[in-house]
Amino acid sequence: MRILVVEDDALVADAIRRGLTRAGYAVDHVGSAERAGGALESESFDLAIIDIGLPGVDGLVLLQRMRRAGSALPVLILTARDALADRVSALDLGADDYLVKPFELPELVARCRALIRRSRSATSANLTIGGLHLELGAHRVEADGVPINLTRREWAVLECLALNVGRVVAKEKLVQAIANWDEDIGANAIEVYVSRLRTKLGGAAPIRTVRGLGYRLDDAAV
Amino acid sequence: MTRPSEPAHSVRRRLLLLLLAPLMLLLGTGVFVDYVTGARPIHDAYDRALREDALAVAAHLRDEDGNGRIDADLPPQAVAVLRADSTDSIYYAVRAADGTLVSGDADLPARPLRGANPTFDDVEYRGHAIRLATYATRVGAAEVTVAVAETTRKRTLATTRILTSIVLTDLAQLVGTLVLVWVGVRYGVRPLRALGEQIAARSARDLAPLDEAPVPTEIRPLVRVLNELFDTVRAAARSQQQFLASAAHQLRTPLAGIIAQLELLARDPAAGAARERLLALHDGTRRLAHTANQLLALARAEPTATTHEDFHETELATLVAEVVSQNLDRSLAAGIDLGAETEPVRVIGSAWLLRELLANLVDNALAYTPRDGSVTVRCGRCGRGAFVEVEDDGPGIAPEQRERVRERFYRVPESPGNGCGLGLAIVDDIARAHAATFTLGDGARARGTRARVEFQRAV
Repeated sequence: MRILVVEDDALVADAIRRGLTRAGYAVDHVGSAERAGGALESESFDLAIIDIGLPGVDGLVLLQRMRRAGSALPVLILTARDALADRVSALDLGADDYLVKPFELPELVARCRALIRRSRSATSANLTIGGLHLELGAHRVEADGVPINLTRREWAVLECLALNVGRVVAKEKLVQAIANWDEDIGANAIEVYVSRLRTKLGGAAPIRTVRGLGYRLDDAAV
Repeated sequence: MTRPSEPAHSVRRRLLLLLLAPLMLLLGTGVFVDYVTGARPIHDAYDRALREDALAVAAHLRDEDGNGRIDADLPPQAVAVLRADSTDSIYYAVRAADGTLVSGDADLPARPLRGANPTFDDVEYRGHAIRLATYATRVGAAEVTVAVAETTRKRTLATTRILTSIVLTDLAQLVGTLVLVWVGVRYGVRPLRALGEQIAARSARDLAPLDEAPVPTEIRPLVRVLNELFDTVRAAARSQQQFLASAAHQLRTPLAGIIAQLELLARDPAAGAARERLLALHDGTRRLAHTANQLLALARAEPTATTHEDFHETELATLVAEVVSQNLDRSLAAGIDLGAETEPVRVIGSAWLLRELLANLVDNALAYTPRDGSVTVRCGRCGRGAFVEVEDDGPGIAPEQRERVRERFYRVPESPGNGCGLGLAIVDDIARAHAATFTLGDGARARGTRARVEFQRAV
């Protein structure tokens, strides 16, 4: 896994490089948008971490250029500013995630992992979350290496949670995910499926209840 | 909106007061002039009638025997005609040159001729004011004086009638003028009132220029100055925002580097004996970063740093979901059940500031709620307004502390945690920036704290 870090502050860049290297990623660092353009053309990456406040061409312009050029590379935007406008424009311009400085290194690593996994799940048929292994095309799932039998609705709920691993998924969204089979399904039914999933999956990947909001599948490895 | 009560310095009132004194003076003069010019001819007409009477009496005088002794040949019918008057009493006296009475009322006062013949006098007779005409004439060889008088009741009646009508018409004119002024000024200041209402209807943050076109030329300079003021305030807000953005960047970037490096160092096996100190340094630097963030948030919440353009329709339920999601890991680590109870509701506000408000309330609740406690974030409608609230079942805030905790840098004595005492001050400021009320109360079953922010109006 290879990550491009575009950050002009040497101290921050060095810390990110060390943190990600320790987490097992290969890291390339450049200090400006111009040099990032060159690196992106000549090399292939799994993720780019881009600081907004770059000297010269800023990070949002770089992001915009990448998206215009058709790049689907996952991008995590770093910023020291907190204005709403920054956040909105970053996400509008095609950023996949957004982190405000100062950040905690474990948080950064977790976000990188999630972004890379999500982009892989779009192209690959398999997904691994903690002790959980999903074959998306075949609707097959293994927990700690043991195949698990799931009903179609249980599978739909698990797939929806797995594709949004680490994020809170609203109950309504899960209802939509299984609405293909059942038109009149209530939010209460979701609780039943989640409860069954918890029993079947054991501790391989915990499904957290977020009271009043929905559920979150956690990556036990983080 | 209720209309404000008439201000003390109302243009109308001033104008009316200014006009009242001169108008009263004009009224007085008018009444006087009209009375004089109206009463004189009447007076003259009655005098002429009196003169006719005197001449008529004189016509009946004869010097029959030519010896200078006058015979007053006044038949009873003539006297009756002379005295016949429905209103006034008529008196007459004919006297010879030596003053002896020839005929008539002996006690009628005699007055000498003064120039005009007849001469008119106002005298008192038998307790009444009378008008007396004294006419000298010659009958044969004898000189006689004929005096005819009448009481003044007719004259008084006529002049009173004239005076009344004059005063009434002039008063009507005065009142009419004042009413015209009252109504006219009201109509005249209508553009000013409209301008005032236009300004009052805007949000205090709306700094868009006022339209000059519908404003009368007299008020245009005022509008122009207001617009210049709006421009200045807007520019100041923008430059303050830019300054804060730069300050945030300059503060946070090195802090991010230091915090991440300290964390790496502390985890490095080579750290050895220095690990404890490195962890302490890491923790201290994180606190510093937290304080820097809080100070920046406080500055951003300043009314001068936000403008109308920062305020949009904002869905509170989305903000609650975001803030709860962001704090989930922290609540799991602290063993606190963090949840939400939301109802979709929108308010006009700055999403950034409102997120900051919620984040601070949740941060506080998580910091002071013990393990196995619970924190619930709610939003919804209340009446025409909306609310967000964060309720915990922690130790709560003593009622006497509830005001003080909103002060900047104030911390409840001996409270756990290591906050900088800015969280609730930020909440207070942001609530105020949204014209919302921020209250601290007891949680459910009189335990813990319920921090509630109520917005006046939901969209």
